[in-house]
Amino acid sequence: MNLLIMAGALLAYGGLAAKGVSIDRHYADIHGRGKEPAPSLRLQCRLAGWLGIVLSLAACVAARGWHTGPVLWCGLLTLAALALALLFQYRPALAPRLAWAGALAAALMAALHWLA
Amino acid sequence: MREGLRQSMAWLHTWSGLLVCWVLLLIFMAGTSAYYRDEITLWMKPELHAAAAANATLLPTAASAAHVVAALQERAPKATAWFIGLPDERNPAIVASWTLPPKKGMSMAERRAAFRKQNVTLDPVSGLETPNARDTRGGEFLYRMHFDLYYMSAIWGRWIVGICAMFMLVAIISGVITHKRIFKDFFTFRPKKGQRSWLDAHNATAVLALPFHLMITYTGIVTLMFMYMGAPTQALYKGDQQAMFAEVFPDNERVKPAKVAAPLADFGPMLAQAQAKWGVPVARIVVSHPNDANATVQLVRPSGQQLSNIEPSMTFSGVTGALISSTAEPSGVSSMRRAFYGLHVAHFADTVLRALFFLCGLAGCAMVATGALLWGVKERQKYAKVVAQGGRVGFGVRLVDALNIGAIAGLPIAFGVYFWSNRLLPLALENRAAMEANCFFMAWGAAMLLAQIRPTRAMWRFQLIVGALLLAGLPLLNAFTTTTHLGATLFGPAGLRAVAAFDLVTFALGALLGYAAWWLKRKEQKAAGKGAGSARPAVTIQTREAA
Repeated sequence: MNLLIMAGALLAYGGLAAKGVSIDRHYADIHGRGKEPAPSLRLQCRLAGWLGIVLSLAACVAARGWHTGPVLWCGLLTLAALALALLFQYRPALAPRLAWAGALAAALMAALHWLA
Repeated sequence: MREGLRQSMAWLHTWSGLLVCWVLLLIFMAGTSAYYRDEITLWMKPELHAAAAANATLLPTAASAAHVVAALQERAPKATAWFIGLPDERNPAIVASWTLPPKKGMSMAERRAAFRKQNVTLDPVSGLETPNARDTRGGEFLYRMHFDLYYMSAIWGRWIVGICAMFMLVAIISGVITHKRIFKDFFTFRPKKGQRSWLDAHNATAVLALPFHLMITYTGIVTLMFMYMGAPTQALYKGDQQAMFAEVFPDNERVKPAKVAAPLADFGPMLAQAQAKWGVPVARIVVSHPNDANATVQLVRPSGQQLSNIEPSMTFSGVTGALISSTAEPSGVSSMRRAFYGLHVAHFADTVLRALFFLCGLAGCAMVATGALLWGVKERQKYAKVVAQGGRVGFGVRLVDALNIGAIAGLPIAFGVYFWSNRLLPLALENRAAMEANCFFMAWGAAMLLAQIRPTRAMWRFQLIVGALLLAGLPLLNAFTTTTHLGATLFGPAGLRAVAAFDLVTFALGALLGYAAWWLKRKEQKAAGKGAGSARPAVTIQTREAA
């Protein structure tokens, strides 16, 4: 599969995960009952989330152009969101870790794509 | 209005969804499978598997065209038009069909029936006619069913499907408005909590795939908008639909035959010219009035580069081979409609995108199914006391339960039986393709009837298990009835991967149904362990008459 598309999928997941972590319910699931994210952390998560989502769109458009790129992006967002919903329920602690790993891998893949 | 907006929208959402949900489930399931109609057709025509396996050594386009022209000259030299599909990754064979001048007194249905027989399939490697593939409509049946329905004229089917789609659009929009915690509950799914869990599942499958649901419902209506919205044609063209179509689709203009015979030019240079312009080989060829002095050859670009459902084409004189015209850029409004149409049919989708569309389609099925179940779950609460005292649930709950079983558990049975009938019906059977379709509806009818007679938990389990066995058993059936079993299709030539994918996906879907049946059984045992008195009334999705 195209490296950029994989990067787009990972960025979509990472972005949504960052946004998801800033939601009280999921934050408490990861860090313990009753815990709430500090306002600054919440803001950081949300910004990182939007960044990931926008970068994911950029990767999709770079991979497939303006015609089908955005369609691909919507599909990847849906896939990532469904995966995230299941992770938050069954393995909540894994969700942010995978997001970090995914962001790293996405950067690597994008770099590989532009260099190759 | 004394109620708040959200309450009134909740009412609208409930009823606009419930009224049409069973037909919608059929449309969604068939439509979702139609993303893979070529692959389904390939699976259902094992006679073509050898050609698919040899796909790696496809003929060049010009050689394919020469073969198919020779075949058509032999079969239909006096046709009004030839339609030629050249092979690609998803469709291994060269397929061609033709139309003949209509005989006097032929009805539309007779003409359509005749057209279905006027086709030929050629091997992509040798260019010879393939051994007669079995008479089946394959994925085409599922595709047509999702907007034409069956056993009725296409017009009626399209009106019914269109109205259902409009209800669906209303249900989607009212559902979004009535969803109080759409962002806070975005990723929330809490299993094993009864009604809560059904609602979570309904929300998750609806919200997370919302772009798809909105798009597919809206664009579905757009594909048939000239039928659903006749007023503009009435007002601007005095009801003359032909005049409107001629203006909206200028490329479809037909030339009249000169009635003077003239030999067809060689297609090779035309194909080369088109390929040089587009950078990709031609996908389809339409020849109007072959062997006439006014013959034209229209070459169509393959899909994949744009959303639009209408690909650019180049038209050549069929006699001199000179370029007559290329398609003009459509107007803004026209390209919008084409993009909407294109989004719905997704011809542009490559492997990854197609899989995503399929996944979203499955999410749509799950959304409709969980929505239908939710109504029963909520409504049953009203009868909790009555049922605890040994009474019965109301007629509405019973009816909805039965329809839910017949649709949610019964439709997979119908799909399974359709595929089984493809392999088990005798090859020489008269009207075989129609018999396959009959098998689909006989199976579905039986499931619906049984569900109406006994809408119980045991019936849920029974139908889920039957569906699971039928679908998960397809790889086995394929292995016993063809030489292209999973071992050959997974590790053999790349052209057979589609057959392997069909086997694996149907197996996975069957396994999912089996899991649902097992889950029901476990829940029943748990409920029995707790004793009848302490059972929570809202948890179950079935009538308790059986218990």
